[in-house]
Amino acid sequence: MTSAPDARRWRLPAAILLLTVLTGCGPSTVVVQGSFPPPLLDPLPLRMGVWYDEAFAGHEFFDEAKSRRESDWLVKTGEAQVQMWNTLLGGMFRELVQMKGRPGPNQMNQLVDAVLVPHVDELQYAIPTHTNVKVYEIWMRYRFELLTTSGDPIADWTMTAYGKTPTAFLQSDEAAVNLAAVVALRDAGANFATHFTRVPEVREWLESRATTRGEAEP
Amino acid sequence: MKPGVMGTALLAATCTVLTGCVTATVDEMVFNEPTEGIGDSTVVILGRRHASDYETEPDFIQCVGKRIASRDRSIEVIGELEFINALYPWFEPRTAPLRPQDIDRLLLHRPVAEKMAALRTEYMIWIDGNTVRTDSAGSMTCGIGPGGAGCFGFGTWNNDANYEATIWDFTDRAEVGRINTSASGQSYMPAVVVPIPIIAPVQGTACDSIGDQLLEFLSSEF
Repeated sequence: MTSAPDARRWRLPAAILLLTVLTGCGPSTVVVQGSFPPPLLDPLPLRMGVWYDEAFAGHEFFDEAKSRRESDWLVKTGEAQVQMWNTLLGGMFRELVQMKGRPGPNQMNQLVDAVLVPHVDELQYAIPTHTNVKVYEIWMRYRFELLTTSGDPIADWTMTAYGKTPTAFLQSDEAAVNLAAVVALRDAGANFATHFTRVPEVREWLESRATTRGEAEP
Repeated sequence: MKPGVMGTALLAATCTVLTGCVTATVDEMVFNEPTEGIGDSTVVILGRRHASDYETEPDFIQCVGKRIASRDRSIEVIGELEFINALYPWFEPRTAPLRPQDIDRLLLHRPVAEKMAALRTEYMIWIDGNTVRTDSAGSMTCGIGPGGAGCFGFGTWNNDANYEATIWDFTDRAEVGRINTSASGQSYMPAVVVPIPIIAPVQGTACDSIGDQLLEFLSSEF
């Protein structure tokens, strides 16, 4: 028979054991971490503002397991997204300004040429247990809004990014998904940097700015 | 002989014996070899990552670079990650040049031209391929009990490596060589209480083969 003080003595180890068992049932969580190089580009002569809304800065993706063999997945990309886009945009434009709020008619904000608002519209991932291919993949679709400081739209376009990494000896699923996400973010940066000036509305806006400035100069 | 040294020698001998056999083949076609070596210039070795179902392993690229640099210390090999980071976003899978002529398009960007000049890159070597497990057989059972743990059984598997290196002369914007290597080998894992892996170093052999052929092209000493 166990006395009350004895039972109390066993509570802590029992709680630790229970927590350990329950941890095994939790989702596979990946907080994406990586380093992103600055772009090797001639910066565009723009004072560009950027606004990351809460959904973007704290972006995460949850996928519920489809069968008992699989586990739930939680992929948090928000922090890495902000880090990558700050580095990229900082090298793409003469000056990058972090806006205090989303541009709008009644929103007091810093004075900039335009404000870029990125969104992650969709994220999909695949791991070898899903596809039987020994590759981890991340696919993302972004939507970008280019706005005036008063919130009027200049351009609105979508862009995809893709990253994959092969299975590697002694590499966990989480580490491989993280690496695939970092590759996808680098791909997003490469796609944006090489296509920004080719977006028709952006090109028109840049041309109209160049014309206006040309007329203003004596 | 000291016991420690003897132990190390015995371990090395055991490891050598416990290595599976590998068969490797190398095909080579090169032009315009630099007869006096590459001098002060540098070489960069990059992996192709365009295919949807496989990826050239970064550690294989690193292995080939190390093989070349260790056998001829006068050759400076720029690390793959260092190079693609320094030239981001121009050497990502989406943006990397696919033909030597595409280099001209890249050099229209002033910062890229300046960076390439600073890196003194004379040869750009693209490696495409991977190592795959083609076949496996056997079974193994492991158990744990109050008296200890152990495994019993036998497993065997085949690995095939196939890589192609394409050499671009950066100054002349031309492809000057192709080296193809394929290697295959069978690994075994017998287990009577303790599993003993007898691994065939397929990828390592492919790395040495392609590295040696590239050395013959790049180095004046080989």
